[in-house]
Amino acid sequence: MKRIAISAALALSSVAFAAGGTLVYGSGGQPVSLESGNITDGNSIIVQRQIYDTLVDFADGSTKPIPGLATRWTSNKDATEWTFTLRKNVKFTDGTPFNADAVIFNVNRWWDPKFEFGYRDSGKTYEIWGQLMGGYKGEASGFLKSVTKVNDYSVKFTLTSPVTVFPDLIGSGYFGIASPTAIKAQGEKYGTPASKPVGTGPFVFDSWKTGDRIVVKANPNYWDAKAQVDEVVFRFITDRNQRLNELRAGTIDFTSDLDPQAAKNMKNDAKVDAVLKPSFNVGFISLNVRNEYLKNVKVRQAISMAFDKKAIVEEFWGDIGTSNASFLPPVMAWANSKKVPADYKYDPAAAKKLLAEAGYPNGFSLDFWYMPVSRPYFPSPKDIAEAVAAELSGIGIKVNLKTKDWAQYLADRNTAPGFDIYMIGWTGDYGDPDNFYSAYYGPSASDDSGYNPKELADLLEQGKAAKGQAAKAKVYSKIHEITYNAYVRIPVVHSQPLGGKAKYVKGWVPSPLGSEAFNKITIDGKK
Amino acid sequence: MTAFILRRLFRTLTVLIGVTIVVFGFVRLIPGDPAVVMLGERANPQVAAAFRERLGLNKPIFFNFAAPADTQFVRYVQQLSKGDLGQGIKSQIPVADELRSRFPATVELAIGALLFALLVGMPAGIIAALNRNKPLDNIAMTISLVGVSMPIFWLGLLLVYFFAVQLPWLPPSGRLDPTINFDSITGMNVLDSILKGRLDGLGSALKHLILPSIALGTIPMAIIARITRSSMLEVLSQDYVRTATAKGLNQRSVILKHALRNALLPVVTVIGLQIGLLLGGAILTESIFSWPGIGSWLYQGIFERDYPVIQGGVIFGALVFSVVNLLIDISYAFLDPRIHYS
Repeated sequence: MKRIAISAALALSSVAFAAGGTLVYGSGGQPVSLESGNITDGNSIIVQRQIYDTLVDFADGSTKPIPGLATRWTSNKDATEWTFTLRKNVKFTDGTPFNADAVIFNVNRWWDPKFEFGYRDSGKTYEIWGQLMGGYKGEASGFLKSVTKVNDYSVKFTLTSPVTVFPDLIGSGYFGIASPTAIKAQGEKYGTPASKPVGTGPFVFDSWKTGDRIVVKANPNYWDAKAQVDEVVFRFITDRNQRLNELRAGTIDFTSDLDPQAAKNMKNDAKVDAVLKPSFNVGFISLNVRNEYLKNVKVRQAISMAFDKKAIVEEFWGDIGTSNASFLPPVMAWANSKKVPADYKYDPAAAKKLLAEAGYPNGFSLDFWYMPVSRPYFPSPKDIAEAVAAELSGIGIKVNLKTKDWAQYLADRNTAPGFDIYMIGWTGDYGDPDNFYSAYYGPSASDDSGYNPKELADLLEQGKAAKGQAAKAKVYSKIHEITYNAYVRIPVVHSQPLGGKAKYVKGWVPSPLGSEAFNKITIDGKK
Repeated sequence: MTAFILRRLFRTLTVLIGVTIVVFGFVRLIPGDPAVVMLGERANPQVAAAFRERLGLNKPIFFNFAAPADTQFVRYVQQLSKGDLGQGIKSQIPVADELRSRFPATVELAIGALLFALLVGMPAGIIAALNRNKPLDNIAMTISLVGVSMPIFWLGLLLVYFFAVQLPWLPPSGRLDPTINFDSITGMNVLDSILKGRLDGLGSALKHLILPSIALGTIPMAIIARITRSSMLEVLSQDYVRTATAKGLNQRSVILKHALRNALLPVVTVIGLQIGLLLGGAILTESIFSWPGIGSWLYQGIFERDYPVIQGGVIFGALVFSVVNLLIDISYAFLDPRIHYS
């Protein structure tokens, strides 16, 4: 009897700790490539994060840097020299040791157009490196001057100008560290479905069926928390309604980028949960100061007061959007100014008065452009545009709603004279205010509004060099005040991308940065 | 016969050259360029220009009087002459590799759709013809009219909603259960699972094939039903059928032996055209059902302005279409002894 009880207890305990099984993720599409540093799309990053580690990792669900393949990092006083201490006893899954040579090999591929193992002749561009690091080796705009080996477990990056946020940049999900052996062996094919990408990550690449699925298996020798499941299958399901169908039919375990309206469907379904990812974007309305009416700041201020942002966000996003007066998502609220109100005032009567003061008591008419595609920050642009237009007509501004093909829209907004008023947004790459502001102000900004004072460019330069959150907050709160009072870009929403999971999926903590490792996810109770 | 085939091959080649020139020009007429689509919100003018330059998209398209050989088209033709279709701008994967790996999925779906179209369409057409102007005829023709007019994506979504979400009998999309994995031989899962003796794989592959086959096969089904009916009616009114009936042969053998064979000729033509269309990749159906064939790949390519992908896909589609038509014309000779290819 006793023996039975013991064996029963043993059996029970083994059930309780039994990990394993197949975890199925409904991906929004096929990755562009599994070659690190050579992609910008979310579908690639999420798979790459499972195969590769980065030098710097980020705390669960936040943008706070924590040790990854580097155990610590230090810089000189003005943040132009960064030294990373590397983790010892880590091997790539093909047995190649991870060390300073491996790191430098990877960096050279992304940074140096002449590096033999970058295979740029075959059309590889490592686009994201140029965007985040200013440019490539030999270009004046790039801020990396050199990367050198201090010893086997220490690497030094020397920069041409202070960049206090360098660890966040080199640690971003784009820059997974790949095995030099595998790259040399596979050459220009590396990263395509016909190749075998190799990293140090929690999972090992197994197979890629073009257009259909990617399978990765648990890495038994992972240096950090080992995966709780045997394998992860990424299924490519481009249609977001189909992703919801698959989730509800039980053919996938979890998924991302669902239509905000799907939250209601999931609420009524006992088998699934809605999952809100932390917001890391901004959707805004941009006013072009080259327009004869919009060049008057009173007119722009009137427009900012004319529509009820709160009601619009409530209507189109429900719980998954917030509205405030900042260009930055709520995770970076520390960089906002205390002097700026929490949100723009909604006061149509005052707006009408301002228009009269500006000399337009009877209003005027304008083109208002909305994007033809759904973006994470504007899921249904046309409806939102119509809601804003209706309110603007209330203060006498007649709005002609217009749209055009997405590619053309993106090109034309930057071609002088640009659009009068248009909708656009931004999704961040790393947790620094500069990543948001520099996209629309300063030297590398979009030229879509005719507003880009030198004062802002100088402040952005200071922001890059400021060390520590307090020092940064000082600079960015000034930027916040200037941009708020300019009424050129009116932030409408910071939306939380909507994911969904089966009830039995536990331990999934979505990152604001768009990719997280799946090694802590369990699926106990999956049939 | 040989002369005929050679003539047809030459014509096919001319068609393909024409298609190449037209598609090359047309994709570049679509507003918006690949650099901007790929960079999205990040596409500020400097970045986009640098990207275009790296891809050679800043070169003249057809004509460059300063350096005639230095145009996008000449470079593309030089590649083509080496049998190289280029590589996707976004994926950097050779277009030929993509076509090779995706074509089996498209073939499998085309066969499924065709089977559905034939098994439902032909009997419906025959039954309608034999019951001319009776209720059965009206029912069959009404169904086929609805079938022709129903937009594929709408039908696809309805099928998924009822048979995958409300009654979870069939999977909503994909080709195989996520937990089933075997190496492919032909790339057609139904065939591969039989060859590998994987019964679980066969069941799963067939289950995944049902809904997309119905969605894709509905229009051909309706067309085949109508053609079968009208062709059958025409044959049934011919003298030799009346004679056969008068001779006292039973109705069934008259229909099957005499009428059907002759009625099939126009049906074969229609089937041929449909095969060509189906093998070109069913863009909407494949996209709705996440079916990893040529259609869904082309759809993505068009959306992303991926010039080499669109060019490769369209040229390939034209090639398949021409070859299938040629085969159909040759098969005519065997079906109808009255046709001569002199």
